[in-house]
Amino acid sequence: MAEITIHNIVKQYGDGYPAVNDVSLDIADGELMILVGPSGCGKSTLLRMIVGLEDITSGDMIIGGNRVNDKAPRERNLAMVFQNYALYPHLTVFENIAFPLRLAGKLSDDEIRKKVTDAAKTLELHEHLERKPANLSGGQRQRVAMGRAIVRQAAAFLFDAPLSNLDAKLRGQMRTEILRLQRQLGVTTVYVTHDQTEAMTLGDRVAVLKKGVLQQVASPREFYDQPVNLFVAGFIGSPPMNFVPATVRNNQLELPFLTIPMRPEWETITASGKVYIAGIRPGSFEDASLVDSDKVNRGVTFDVDIDVTEWLGNEQYAFVSYEAPAEITTQLERLASDLDSEQLRTQICVEVDPLSRVRNGDNATLWLDTSRLHLFDPQTGGNLTRTAGSERREPVTTG
Amino acid sequence: MSTAKSGGWWTIAGVVIVIYSFFPLAWMISLAFKPPSDIVSGSPQFLPTTWTFDNFVTIFSDSLFTRALINSIGIALVATVLSVVIAMFAAYAIARLEFRGKKVLLSLALGIAMFPQAALVGPLFGMWRSVGIYDTWIGLIIPYMTFALPLSIWTMSAFFRQIPWEMEHAAQVDGATQWQAFRKVIVPLAAPGVFTTVILTFFFCWNDFLFSISLTSTNSARTVPAALAFFQGASYFESAVPYVMAASVIVTIPVVILVLAFQRRIVAGLTSGAVKG
Repeated sequence: MAEITIHNIVKQYGDGYPAVNDVSLDIADGELMILVGPSGCGKSTLLRMIVGLEDITSGDMIIGGNRVNDKAPRERNLAMVFQNYALYPHLTVFENIAFPLRLAGKLSDDEIRKKVTDAAKTLELHEHLERKPANLSGGQRQRVAMGRAIVRQAAAFLFDAPLSNLDAKLRGQMRTEILRLQRQLGVTTVYVTHDQTEAMTLGDRVAVLKKGVLQQVASPREFYDQPVNLFVAGFIGSPPMNFVPATVRNNQLELPFLTIPMRPEWETITASGKVYIAGIRPGSFEDASLVDSDKVNRGVTFDVDIDVTEWLGNEQYAFVSYEAPAEITTQLERLASDLDSEQLRTQICVEVDPLSRVRNGDNATLWLDTSRLHLFDPQTGGNLTRTAGSERREPVTTG
Repeated sequence: MSTAKSGGWWTIAGVVIVIYSFFPLAWMISLAFKPPSDIVSGSPQFLPTTWTFDNFVTIFSDSLFTRALINSIGIALVATVLSVVIAMFAAYAIARLEFRGKKVLLSLALGIAMFPQAALVGPLFGMWRSVGIYDTWIGLIIPYMTFALPLSIWTMSAFFRQIPWEMEHAAQVDGATQWQAFRKVIVPLAAPGVFTTVILTFFFCWNDFLFSISLTSTNSARTVPAALAFFQGASYFESAVPYVMAASVIVTIPVVILVLAFQRRIVAGLTSGAVKG
């Protein structure tokens, strides 16, 4: 067990492109750290640098107090679960799990048998020990890969998108399994994923990367409530945060479909006459007729034409389209391409109560909780409304 | 309907091809068991009038054949083992490492494999005589390796390339050195490729006639295909054909054994289950 300190790590490929650019990260002993970002953001490269499969261009990689930049993977004593499992097809499940122990060559056959059997019991693989990987299901192969990791006393576990090859139901089960196992063993873990559900549910802390640059390191809750910039705000949350142009005029904030009276905390950070990007989570809206009377005063109500509604049983989304000025549109398009998605049209997504009777084409009265509105600088993308001092880390649970 | 019909045609075509290609083999076997008198008989027939093992007894008592058999086995084995081991390392390097001149090396290897062997026999004859390895095992092993290696390297590097990088990475993270990862993970996974190469190389060395007839002069290194040309019957008045055929049957046996023994290993899909496909 060990803490991992990543200090100004840079990975530059032969063509000079920095896949990972000046990333610094402290991962505490026993912590579960998630690296997340769209594809090509450098999260896997960073993980492979930790384990030693990629050379480090500059910076320091410190594991358990030792600088490991120039050490071979086998000298770093880390265990890794690969995206495609990388099981040894010519060996049985037992020999797959025993492989690292046999290489170490320190244990007798009886000790190896005991350790492998214990690991297999933890992962409920004991019935399959004599089978070959080819005859196992996807979930079982995944567990064999994890068995190979937990069987030895590794300083840390590294997971490279281990669940991305599983179907949705199994993914949910394995996610809980990984979390349970990590808590039980209390081993420092770095987990790479592009799935934000995994990022939000698994991690003590989450690190978001964009094009090799670290954007924000925070607890999942802080990510959702206090994103540091447009990119993070757009990446975390499903359906994603709505971004709309907001003009400050006459001590009011003018959005395409409503006008909000200036809140005191906005006055210092905005200038009159300028255009900002307002970020609003779909959940910050509600059908005005279904809002409790004591909550109504916290926000504003407004009338809009509803384009389309999507009723999903326990939630309901309504879509409202609007016209945006050109400069905001280009900024939003750039953001969409950063996030690996496509900006189809300027519209907002509103989450309304499933009981709401709002239907396609209706003119509806909606309510917005203005205290949960974020304002972003249209040039830098920085979050202007982010409350300082909220970088408080959630306690690390080891056990 | 139409598929059943075309399936029937395929079967007929298959049977015709099998009969066509097996007829010489069957004839060879039949001749090998015929008494010499059958060969010159006025009423020739396909099957022997009496089945006899005398031809085999005769050739095994002839030092020309037994010595050639030992040469054949020894030379083919040494050349095969050496070229497969060398090809394995070379192919691994070509499949996994980036180095300057890789393309040149590969095309050069292919060029050597394409080179007409007959064009080399003359110069080799002169060189081997002056170097002093004419009519020796090593004098045959070297040209065999030269021509077997390029093909072996190409075949095996194709097999190595199919093995996912992650297998080695996983082994390294699990604590293996590069050599351990190669020996314990890569080689077992490339086994079908290795066996294929072993068989191809062995056949090439075993069947070669050109080098063997040109680069040997005595029994000390002459292999069976070349030795057959020098075969005579038990006496000058008898045809040598039954003896030659008996010897042919004997040299065919290792080939058949090799194929039967290894065909189960040359199955694709040994790597299935390594990674999620």
